Amino acid sequence: MMQLWDVEVKSRKIEIVLILAVFLASLPLILNYGLLILSSFSTEMVTNLDPTSFRPTIDNWILLFEGRLSVTGGVREDVVRYTINTAIVALGVAGVVVLVSVMAGYAMSRMNFKGRSLIMQMILLLHAFPGVALIIAVYLIFRATLPSDIELARIYSFAYVIVARAALEIPMSIWLIKGFFDRVPWEVEWAAIIDGASRLRVWREVMLPMVKPGIAAIAIFAFLAGWEDLIYVRTFLFDRTLATYIESNINVEFAYMPLLAAAGTLYLLPTILFFILTQRLLLETSTGGIKG
Amino acid sequence: MVSVRLEKVTKKFGKVVAVNNVDLEIEEGEFMALLGPSGSGKSTLLYLIAGIYKPTSGKIFFDDRDVTNLPPRERNVGLVFQNYALYPHMKVFDNIAFPLKIKKVPKEEIRRKVFEVAKLLRIEHLLDRYPGQLSGGQQQRVAIARALVKEPQVLLLDEPLSNLDALLRVSVRSELKRLQKNLGITAIYVTHDQAEAMALADRIAIINEGVIQQVDLPEVVYNRPKNMFVGGFIGNPPMNFVEAGVEYNETVKLIVGEDSVWLPQEYIEILRKLKLQKVVLGFRPEDVLVLKDERQVEPGSSVIRGEIFTVEPMGREVLLTVMIGETMVKVYAPPTQYYSMGDKVFLQINPAKLRLFDPDTTIALEYLVKT
Repeated sequence: MMQLWDVEVKSRKIEIVLILAVFLASLPLILNYGLLILSSFSTEMVTNLDPTSFRPTIDNWILLFEGRLSVTGGVREDVVRYTINTAIVALGVAGVVVLVSVMAGYAMSRMNFKGRSLIMQMILLLHAFPGVALIIAVYLIFRATLPSDIELARIYSFAYVIVARAALEIPMSIWLIKGFFDRVPWEVEWAAIIDGASRLRVWREVMLPMVKPGIAAIAIFAFLAGWEDLIYVRTFLFDRTLATYIESNINVEFAYMPLLAAAGTLYLLPTILFFILTQRLLLETSTGGIKG
Repeated sequence: MVSVRLEKVTKKFGKVVAVNNVDLEIEEGEFMALLGPSGSGKSTLLYLIAGIYKPTSGKIFFDDRDVTNLPPRERNVGLVFQNYALYPHMKVFDNIAFPLKIKKVPKEEIRRKVFEVAKLLRIEHLLDRYPGQLSGGQQQRVAIARALVKEPQVLLLDEPLSNLDALLRVSVRSELKRLQKNLGITAIYVTHDQAEAMALADRIAIINEGVIQQVDLPEVVYNRPKNMFVGGFIGNPPMNFVEAGVEYNETVKLIVGEDSVWLPQEYIEILRKLKLQKVVLGFRPEDVLVLKDERQVEPGSSVIRGEIFTVEPMGREVLLTVMIGETMVKVYAPPTQYYSMGDKVFLQINPAKLRLFDPDTTIALEYLVKT
């Protein structure tokens, strides 16, 4: 296939100006994250742009994984456990979102039924709802359905937060994956049906492999949403995650900031990793993935 | 192998009638081309036979079996698409094996059959590749192999050559014809390319606006088009049409501008029966003798005067666009003569090859008399 290039009228000067502008615009972000990461390896916070305050150490990270909140304090926190909890929630959200979206997205893209466009519009409306606005109602349901056995209730709270948080992500994911299904030519599906496959088999063996990039994209978005969530986790989950751990320690009296900087860096890690690893994929998603 | 029969098949999409009351019979082992412009309903007709669409009314038979309401998988047809519709995530081997895998054919047998059909289409060296790594022509062979591997009763082809470049198209075309004859498979071939239909098919069905216009042997469709649509669709350039008056005397002749055109006996009799005052004269570009000088006109033959509008040298011949009054016609002339814009020419139409149409119904006069 022919490679498509940009029109060749770009001027070198304008390009340099543009790159500078983009660099300046993203400078605050780069600076903030840079300082946070730097602070996590320092005995003092380096947030005042004062290089002399950077005294390198890895004690913060050791303390973090030992679960100590301050250099002297005796309070122990199980950070490894929190990390695992965060991962459980994030993976759970990703799993539920992918499962529901690939089925709903296929139906929205490929099946002709009454009220399809109405449902699509409602889904978009749902997406516009902030999760906080729903939280009272969601909490009432949570209270009403909570098992009385405490161990069971703990597990239930995991399941509940996963499903509730996934529900917030699903509308957008359906739209996104629908765009990917839309791009698969009808002929491919017809060919498989002519070859004797049932609709379910076509979906599983032909359609799903062809929308793999889309599945990866919604999985990553959902994982990050679950990883980053604070409000739902704080409201429903009995256990702590990294988000609630940091949040609850950020303004306690004995808070040792460089240690929290380390916790914050740990918390950021998957986000940064995912964006670096999947930059191209996400770009493709945002430019071509969504089609009405 | 089966014969395919359509009885009064109609397909509507909402209010749009894509296929209108079509009766068509394709014999066992026959290569039938469905020819029509885009939007004529020819692909819809093919998908009706495949079972992807269900007819709004009418029935479809394979031999004597009514398949109208059978799902595609119970019809055992092979379908080749214009864009090949290969499964991009599967290797060529798995693409071809897919229909057999679904049928739960034993692994060993799948291997054997895939290799057999791959050999037939000369793609056995490509089995380990992905479709994306193949050229258009190779992909198309894979698509045909996938359609053939399940030994279908009918092979359906939806413009399979139109994504290939012009040179390749001609060579694959002849291979396809050989393959179909060797296998003796009933084949239905949808195309908008009249040359392709002429070259490949045993019979051609011409469709326009969902209605079958004519079903006949290629040479009949070419030489005796049933109506002006068929004449104007088949041939490149297509048939020329010139309006003419009719003069009834001791003989019957046509009047075009100031010229008169003598008719063969067949048409004289038909016209005496129909008593039309006006007809449309149709002739093909190659059935005309272009004379530059009135002295060249043989006595007793009839010519139409015209003026050259454009000259397009084609190598083997020159394509002239000639104005007859207000009407433009295209004619082929030998390149031995020199022609230039504005030249007066005399067109002598081969009387055996000219066709007459009724201007109201656009139907050819000889068919008008028959029915």
